[in-house]
Amino acid sequence: MKKHFNNPDSCTACTVCVAHCPVSAATNKFRGPKMVGPTLERMRLSEEDVEPSLEYCSNCKNCDMSCPSGVPISTLNMLARANYYKTRKQSKRDYILSHGEQAAKMASMLPFGAAIANLGMSMSRGIMKQIGISDKAPLPPYASTSFIKQFKALRQQSYPDKVVFYPGCFINYNDPGVGMDFVAVMQANQYEVIVESDLVCCGSPLVVNGFLDEAEANAKTNIQILKKWTDQGIPVITCCTSCGLMLKQEYQELFHIEGVEEYAQHLYDAGEFLLELYDKGRLNTKFGALNEQYLYHAPCHLRAQGMGLPSLELLGLIPGLEVKNADAGCCGISGNYGFKEDKYDIAMKIGAPLFQKIKESGLSTVVSECGTCRLQIGHGAQVKTLHPMTLVRKSYEANGQ
Amino acid sequence: MRKNDVIVIGGGLAGLLAAAVAAKEGKKVLILSLGAGTLTIGGGIIDVLGYVDGTAPVATPRAGLLKILPEHPYKKIGTVALEESIKFFKEICAGEGYPYMGNLDEMQWVPTAAGTLKPTCLVPKTMNTAELKKTDTVVVLGFEALKDFYPHLITKNFVNIPGFSNKKYEIVMIDPNIADGRDVTALDVARWLDTPEGLKDCTEKMAKVLKPGSVVILPPVLGTRPDYHVADSLEKALQCTFIETASVPPSVTGLRLQTMLLRYVKKLGVGFVEQALVTRSIVEKGKCLAVVTAGIDRERTYYGENFILANGGFYGGGLVAEPGQVIEPIFNLPVSAPSDHELWANSNLFSNEPQPFAKIGIDVDEKMRPLGEDGKVVLANVFVAGRNLQGYDFCFEKSGNGVALASGYQCGMSTHRERK
Amino acid sequence: MEKATVVVIGGGATGVGILRDLCMRGVDAILIEQQDLGYGTSSRYHGLLHSGGRYAVKDAEAGKECIEENRILRKIGKHCVEDTEGFFVRTQLDDEAFEPKWLEACAKVGIPAIPISVAEARRLEPNLSAKIKAVYRVPDAAIDGFRMVWQNVASARKYGGRVKTYTTVIGIEQSNNQVIGMKIRNSLTGEISNIACDFIVSAAGSWAGKIAELAGINVHVQPDRGTLIAFNHRITSRIINRLRPSSDGDIFVPHGSITILGTTSVSVESPEDNIPNAKEVLDLLKIGEVLFEDLRSYRLLRAFAGTRPLYSADPNAKGRGASRGFVTLDHAHDGLTGFISVAGGKFTTYRLMGEKVTDLVCQYLNVKTACRTALEPLVDDASPALMAKAHRYFPAYGAELAASRLGSEALEKVIVRMQEKPEKRQLICECENVTMAEVEEAAADSTSHMISDVRRKTRMGMGTCQGAFCTFRSVGAVDANGLSWGQDTNVLFKEFLQGRYKGIRPILWGNVMREMELSRGIYEGTLNINGAINNEEK
Repeated sequence: MKKHFNNPDSCTACTVCVAHCPVSAATNKFRGPKMVGPTLERMRLSEEDVEPSLEYCSNCKNCDMSCPSGVPISTLNMLARANYYKTRKQSKRDYILSHGEQAAKMASMLPFGAAIANLGMSMSRGIMKQIGISDKAPLPPYASTSFIKQFKALRQQSYPDKVVFYPGCFINYNDPGVGMDFVAVMQANQYEVIVESDLVCCGSPLVVNGFLDEAEANAKTNIQILKKWTDQGIPVITCCTSCGLMLKQEYQELFHIEGVEEYAQHLYDAGEFLLELYDKGRLNTKFGALNEQYLYHAPCHLRAQGMGLPSLELLGLIPGLEVKNADAGCCGISGNYGFKEDKYDIAMKIGAPLFQKIKESGLSTVVSECGTCRLQIGHGAQVKTLHPMTLVRKSYEANGQ
Repeated sequence: MRKNDVIVIGGGLAGLLAAAVAAKEGKKVLILSLGAGTLTIGGGIIDVLGYVDGTAPVATPRAGLLKILPEHPYKKIGTVALEESIKFFKEICAGEGYPYMGNLDEMQWVPTAAGTLKPTCLVPKTMNTAELKKTDTVVVLGFEALKDFYPHLITKNFVNIPGFSNKKYEIVMIDPNIADGRDVTALDVARWLDTPEGLKDCTEKMAKVLKPGSVVILPPVLGTRPDYHVADSLEKALQCTFIETASVPPSVTGLRLQTMLLRYVKKLGVGFVEQALVTRSIVEKGKCLAVVTAGIDRERTYYGENFILANGGFYGGGLVAEPGQVIEPIFNLPVSAPSDHELWANSNLFSNEPQPFAKIGIDVDEKMRPLGEDGKVVLANVFVAGRNLQGYDFCFEKSGNGVALASGYQCGMSTHRERK
Repeated sequence: MEKATVVVIGGGATGVGILRDLCMRGVDAILIEQQDLGYGTSSRYHGLLHSGGRYAVKDAEAGKECIEENRILRKIGKHCVEDTEGFFVRTQLDDEAFEPKWLEACAKVGIPAIPISVAEARRLEPNLSAKIKAVYRVPDAAIDGFRMVWQNVASARKYGGRVKTYTTVIGIEQSNNQVIGMKIRNSLTGEISNIACDFIVSAAGSWAGKIAELAGINVHVQPDRGTLIAFNHRITSRIINRLRPSSDGDIFVPHGSITILGTTSVSVESPEDNIPNAKEVLDLLKIGEVLFEDLRSYRLLRAFAGTRPLYSADPNAKGRGASRGFVTLDHAHDGLTGFISVAGGKFTTYRLMGEKVTDLVCQYLNVKTACRTALEPLVDDASPALMAKAHRYFPAYGAELAASRLGSEALEKVIVRMQEKPEKRQLICECENVTMAEVEEAAADSTSHMISDVRRKTRMGMGTCQGAFCTFRSVGAVDANGLSWGQDTNVLFKEFLQGRYKGIRPILWGNVMREMELSRGIYEGTLNINGAINNEEK
């Protein structure tokens, strides 16, 4: 396994992570990333006990990003959580929130399944609250037709240049339009998009609730399928930044899977990939003017990938388009954290500065790559939301591309 | 292909200042940063120079500048540039609504949580000690359950400090009542005061124990935002003067300054890549073309005209200490260090002299360009700032943030003056 | 004037073992220690509770003593002993021919040495090098030296034992060739006083020669210095021994959250010679990385050194050649009755040494009570009810650790402190999980005179940050409760930080250098402790 620079042994107890942890700022119940992560990790190696506030870590990665020593704090927390569940069972609530893929798959298989499921969901919020899912949180409805179904019905132009698209659960079942926008953008760049329908959930929602073995099984499945392509040098693209982080980084931090370092080299975020095309002079720059103004929110899981904000930079190439970085920290939802009844208020408190900034901007739509961020922002700031690919497609189409 | 005018490696105080200077001159600047810098560790006050040798503190920073050795960064930077950097910094702060006070001709002696005074140069208004010197009675205000502030340390020790021995000292405590499972730090209290409810609650509680006209020393808790809203509000409501102490991490004053500077550089359009570990450079014919970051997935290359190395010395990873040698890993710049490791450190931690290892760093010319053992510039478009520099012990001298500020400024100016 | 029947000199394992045995047999005894308890050799070694395997070949007698005492100490000091078991590992660099010799010797002495496959060994200890050749399991265990010393004292106190720390013996008084007392000096206050006694037992380890000199008697102890290094995390959960003739750097021992590698051996002049240097550290790393290939990438915590007292009747015997067995020297043979020196030995056999010495003293005093030190546990276990209570007050991972350190009685006192003031549940030392209540309890003990004394009782400041944060908190907390021993807080800061620095200076590179910059940044840069000290020293 490649030795990443992350090393739990390097912690100097400096507390910079504590100062930057959004959860610690929102609640005094959480003992903070330093304590719960590297400090107790030393104890864990020699003793058995339970740190009750471990459940408050949202895995947003802000601690990792602020650490001057390269300590994989959030990873230590997730591993500790998984260890906790080795001898205990997760709650029904956590099971449901982690296994969204299963429910979504079922809903998508039945005729009108999505509509029925959505109806059922909206009616049963009261019941859900009983088991611990917040009745206020923005649970996403299912789309009537999944992305994969729509993709299969699509007639793509074939090109020698190809990319594999990993949609992830959210795009596939809740927001397929984004996936279709991505395909259109790639086609406008003379790329053919390959979609493998056997790909499974990246595992991120499983990890946060301690289902580490299942997440590992998913990782192995996904790597096996994707490696067929990456071994040929064909890139794998994600539009969801949490899926991207999981596939390229957390698979290495959490598991020891053969060949993962090689495969990770071919994983790209959509915005990142297109920007690299731009650097090579390969990008279709026939952007139509979009005389519009938006605010952009950078998902924490994107910032944690160490490549800056590629989609924001990409949007900067579109004439007339004004996209300002809200730069207001974590939106609070962090995957399924903000859906939990006992974490909803914390999540909303964390996102409050962002919602405030959006309100003050007077703008009606916010752009962000992460699906759950979009849900949270739509809910917390009462605005519309878009994925950057949607704007890129719009721009191309405005110019007849 | 995307290319930057200036790439700054390191997003701490030195890097942010360098980026601000370059951006103000119209350059396209990109900061590559790993970690959040050390402002929230070391604090947000700007130490310029407090001690030069072991005998006594210098009277003013400017007086101290006359005594420093030629190898000291301030000597390379020059007093004029140092003054300019301070002016530049103060203008930013004032413009951002969080003005700092102080100048090279006055030493600010601020109280610390350990009950000492430390010499510094530029401080936020919440550390203005003018009233402290004048008053007969000093009130030290502590917060119940705040484990990183012990009022007795101040009241017991201040009576031994010349100029403070004749004052009367009182301790008052208020209970913020914010403990909810974790140990309470100054940062928690400051965040409590950030909220309108907390500020109101605190004002009421303070009113019960503070007499109007009091001069009050308290831990650094007057809000985490870079403004004086909390301080002004309390001072107005209670008619008291509040003076924050310098204290242990997590530093609230550092957090304020960091928030302000980040906001400022982003307003100037400076690009920022977080979680960016720069591991090597691409150099051709004595000129750096690009630097490369190592991600867990792959490397990424960033092209630039000029590069500023502000990645924090030993602590930040800019210098790597090994037995008997020190390495600068990105450009392989020469760093001189004794090969006999016994010579690295004094036998006592607290000596009347600087620690040899603290002074290890990179030698530069007046433009902050790195020099080789032969005294020649190694890379013409690379500039070094902050702790990476040789010739000063920031802990002994109390000069950390000052050198970061001035060298960051000088690096930024040097890229501007670079002729192609 | 102070009085006791017996005065024991030396607060190491041997001394406290003797004190305990004497007190348990009803003898009125007081122990004098020049610094803090466990200051000498007892805290400056691996912390290995030998199975005896290390001595089996060369010193069968010592080997046999070890395995027997090993079993006893696990019983009476179970909170001090971590039953880690051990491996003896033959590496690719070690002489194959030694292995059968060693096995034979172990069998003879009665030390179980069970072979396991390299693959299995590496499954149990994944950090071990893949190049190793053979592995045997032995019943090694790890002892916390400080804790064992302290718990012996706690036990002795139950039986009326007294302890005086920071007290040096400056004279032995005799009349008609019989000991009648001693002159002592409080090294903190300078005060000189006398203790009247009938018997003096010198268990002064490396200083035994100096003590005997006070009575004009020659005891030849050769101080032999050994350097060890501590790593920041548990590299191994078992003790790992090199399967070869005893040499430097042979042993890795896990202790709670850290690992210790040692040791070296060099004859030195002074028993005070306990400052390690960088070269010794580098040599140890070179040896250690044969067992753990990634050793240099692991975070070092500190380096420390101590002198082991090697006794020999022959003044020229040195180093590992001299016997590690112990001797009891009845100085009646040298013309002074009532004075015994005990020399040599190792930590593992401290209790046995104590028994033999006490037997001799009791003979003189005509005390017929039998020795029970092997039968009675040092401290009472905390009852399940008390542990349940402790879990309610201590933070996660804190209750068991504290209970192990404190024993039942002291644990109750600490809980009471937490009940009276809930903020005492806060952590002074976050790295090693030590609460304010426990720090105060330790500071209030009559033998605590500075923060380092508190550290030795609690493990505060012995973790990752080596005092970067807990120094400030502990000085503040101790001072706030009027427990600061009449000392200036700046002096308390300096003493503690200088102590930590001593062990950091020889390993000042890598992450240790980073931690040092942080620590100096806080105490010198932000808090200006050095400025305050300099101002005072004018």
